[in-house]
Amino acid sequence: MSGLYNVSSSPHVRGADSTQRIMFDVAVALIPAAGFGVVQFGLYSLLVLLVSVAFAILTEYVFQKLAKQPVTVSDGSALVTGLLLGMNLPPSVPIWIPALGSIFAILVVKQFFGGIGQNFMNPALGARCFLLISFTGIMSDYVLDGVSTATPLALMKNGETPELLSTFLGTHAGCIGEVSALAILIGAAYLLIRKVITWEIPVCYIVSFVIFEILFGGHGFDPVYLLTQVCSGGLLLGAFFMATDYATSPITKNGKYLFGILLGVLTGILRIFGASAEGVSYAIIISNLLVPLIERITMPVAYGFKHGSLEGKQKVSLRTYKAALTLCAITLVAGLALGAAYQATKEPIALAELAAQAEAYRAVAPGSEEFEPSAELQEAAAGITAEDGTVAEGQFGGIRFEDVLNALDASGNKVGYVVNVTSKDGFGGEMTLSLGVDLEGVVTGLEFLTINETAGLGMNAKEESFRNQYLGTAVDSFSLVKEAPSADNEIQAISGATITSTAVTNAVNAALYLVSSVQG
Amino acid sequence: MRLATFQGGVHPFEGKELTQDKPIRTYEPQGDLIFPLSQHIGAPASAVVKKNDTVLMGQVIAEAGGFVSANIVSSVSGKVKAVEPRLTVSGMKVPAIVIENDGNYTPVEGLGQKRDYTKMSKQEIIDAVKAAGIVGLGGAGFPTHVKLMPKDPDAIDYIIVNGAECEPYLTSDHRQMIECPEEIVKGLKVVLQLFDHAKGVIAVEENKPDGIRNLQKLVEAEPRIEVVPLKTKYPQGGERNIIYAVTGRQINSTKLPADAGCIVDNVSTIIAIYHAVCENTPILTRVFTVTGDGVNDPGNFRVRIGTMISEIAEAAGGLKDTTKKLISGGPMMGMAMATTEVPVVKTSSALTCFTQDQVELLQETACIRCGRCVQVCPSNIVPTMMLEAARRQDLAEFVTLHGMECMECGSCTYICPARRPMTQAFKQMRQAVMAERRKQKK
Repeated sequence: MSGLYNVSSSPHVRGADSTQRIMFDVAVALIPAAGFGVVQFGLYSLLVLLVSVAFAILTEYVFQKLAKQPVTVSDGSALVTGLLLGMNLPPSVPIWIPALGSIFAILVVKQFFGGIGQNFMNPALGARCFLLISFTGIMSDYVLDGVSTATPLALMKNGETPELLSTFLGTHAGCIGEVSALAILIGAAYLLIRKVITWEIPVCYIVSFVIFEILFGGHGFDPVYLLTQVCSGGLLLGAFFMATDYATSPITKNGKYLFGILLGVLTGILRIFGASAEGVSYAIIISNLLVPLIERITMPVAYGFKHGSLEGKQKVSLRTYKAALTLCAITLVAGLALGAAYQATKEPIALAELAAQAEAYRAVAPGSEEFEPSAELQEAAAGITAEDGTVAEGQFGGIRFEDVLNALDASGNKVGYVVNVTSKDGFGGEMTLSLGVDLEGVVTGLEFLTINETAGLGMNAKEESFRNQYLGTAVDSFSLVKEAPSADNEIQAISGATITSTAVTNAVNAALYLVSSVQG
Repeated sequence: MRLATFQGGVHPFEGKELTQDKPIRTYEPQGDLIFPLSQHIGAPASAVVKKNDTVLMGQVIAEAGGFVSANIVSSVSGKVKAVEPRLTVSGMKVPAIVIENDGNYTPVEGLGQKRDYTKMSKQEIIDAVKAAGIVGLGGAGFPTHVKLMPKDPDAIDYIIVNGAECEPYLTSDHRQMIECPEEIVKGLKVVLQLFDHAKGVIAVEENKPDGIRNLQKLVEAEPRIEVVPLKTKYPQGGERNIIYAVTGRQINSTKLPADAGCIVDNVSTIIAIYHAVCENTPILTRVFTVTGDGVNDPGNFRVRIGTMISEIAEAAGGLKDTTKKLISGGPMMGMAMATTEVPVVKTSSALTCFTQDQVELLQETACIRCGRCVQVCPSNIVPTMMLEAARRQDLAEFVTLHGMECMECGSCTYICPARRPMTQAFKQMRQAVMAERRKQKK
């Protein structure tokens, strides 16, 4: 036998893991959560998932064909991206949302930056945030059983307590794949057993988040509150499936700890102090951007070298500082650009606001054409407002009168008043109402000039069914009830938004109080 | 009990069941024997025989060519046929002595003479080891007498016999633990004679329970010797790893085991020391495993140094026609061979034959940054970043990333799901860096 044999460098055997097998494992691990979502939200959510996956794969295929690159859709990474994006969408989104999201994820976040392994942030989350910013209404409308419903996080932000068991099992509103903590944990266990992911990132993430919540969440060590926080808002899906995304998490061991802690703290900050109840997606993509720097400062000490010794340290090269400076410069430029854009648009926005106000006034005081500042109301308002800003000894909560006007008909006769009043007690901060009151003290109309309440809950104050309760009856003041009203002066509160309802009612009562003081 | 081990490592398919129960068979060479002058780390030996000289079994045919070098001994008696370059496992032709075997195995005077090591001086023991041409038989081939002469012998407190045999498919050390464990213990006692403050440790991976039992029985009455079972994990037998597993001490590539108070010798080497010192017998034979699915009758053989591997392959039932890849050594660190027409040298441990070449079948894809290479690297460095540096031929960056700490164990390349040939690139880079350093010294 003198034939030649294959020659190559050692090692001559290879492990069983391949990129394809890893991606397949991730997809398998996502099945319980995705399956639960489909059962919970119906077949339409399956369509959302399928469209999301199909467009992810198709985008990758088409791009690589056009760019004359080897087609790598068979590695399964586009499938996982598509599936994750679909699972991060509300179940009732229009079908073009997953399609657009997948195209953005694969094309902009992944392929433009060099394809698999090179993306600078998690493609699915990048796309989700893109959709959230661009189509906020659609993306935060969570439908359950055909009705817009608040997510557990939104309920908590409103000071209510969602049921823990329901939150854990997933029988509540939310994104398709993030509702069931149980199903996600089953998938996570599979990934850990198959050694696709390691424990460092998810555990550090959750632990640091819980610690942050205990310190700053305002509930102290309240196990039910903490567990509900952990089980909702996609935190588990994010911790086990998205923060552990290989391309966008550190490969060094210490880096993984640091990354996890950063995620926990950022999520805590966003959830507690942010305007939105959610924080996971933004926390992850922000942390993704810091991964190269995290890796640089957490390079392992080579075996046999002492920690802290000069020779053992892998020197942080000058390039790191350059990178940091470049990042700062980019941030500065972006900030200045934003500021300039704000300055340039400030005036047109103010004009548009004025026009909207006049429109609102006409709507609340039917039959009136012109409006003039009302001296008597102004005087009365000043009379009942104390020096420290309290109105009528605080009986209406935090109240501030804004513009008060006389409503005049076409021939200049006074037909009523328009009272703009701000309540400071809204769940999302201040809300300003424009209230029309006729000369008999009957509310003729109610519009919101500014309102910043929770979608699906407090925002329902804008619904006519709620607003119309105040109209048409002459009463001294309204009071809030939970059930159907039995008297003219009773207002049924918005379910799940007691704070908002109270704020609105107080504002209306304050306005009536003001008008009655001048009517004598 | 928690087994001694190291950080990192992989669990490749062991494949040892093919040969671990096959007793060592003695194979006598049929054709000429070839003795390359460089079968060890350090300067090549220089031939002291010429064409047509008659040589005896055990006769020194090439002398050490420097301090770090080793003698080469003829394993048969016969006639020198040629002193010329011959093909070796590495695929290169290197100067070699070719001896025609006369089949008589006429010994050189004094061969096999029994000696009592306890009555020998330390220098006499070291001289005996040096004369016998002993080098690290585990594969590295570092001259053993040099190891036995550290700067400060009193600082040595561990003599570690490396019986890990972590390389898949290899069973030669295992068989010797079963068939001649007493020679291992005796060899260790010889070495302990040199180091008054040292303790002897025979470290064996726990996948060889029979070997561990045999040795434990033998060391019961030896106060200075202990058998330490190790976790079965590749590369447990790497010198730095076994030192850590046994002593908890860490050394890097710039240090010697002696800096950590250790001397590490492979099982076969320790047996060779015993034969050299107590029986006045240099390295004539070694145990050689022929294994893999590409050979008809896998087994362990005692073969004479210089025997052609093709002969041994025939003795193992011959290679299958479907065999695609031949490896000198095991699949993790062994060297692929284009042909079997090369001789067994001191460091040859096995011929592994595969009918399937996994490397050929697998396509390299893009790194997905999974970090598995970082997790398994026993040197605690970052292979994926080193590969980027290697692809740019950035020697400085490679050194900054501690690329020179790489022991070329192949764990990263084994585990990589993107099938990136990292170890290959690191070998090239390490050679380039060392060449650069040599140039700067001049």
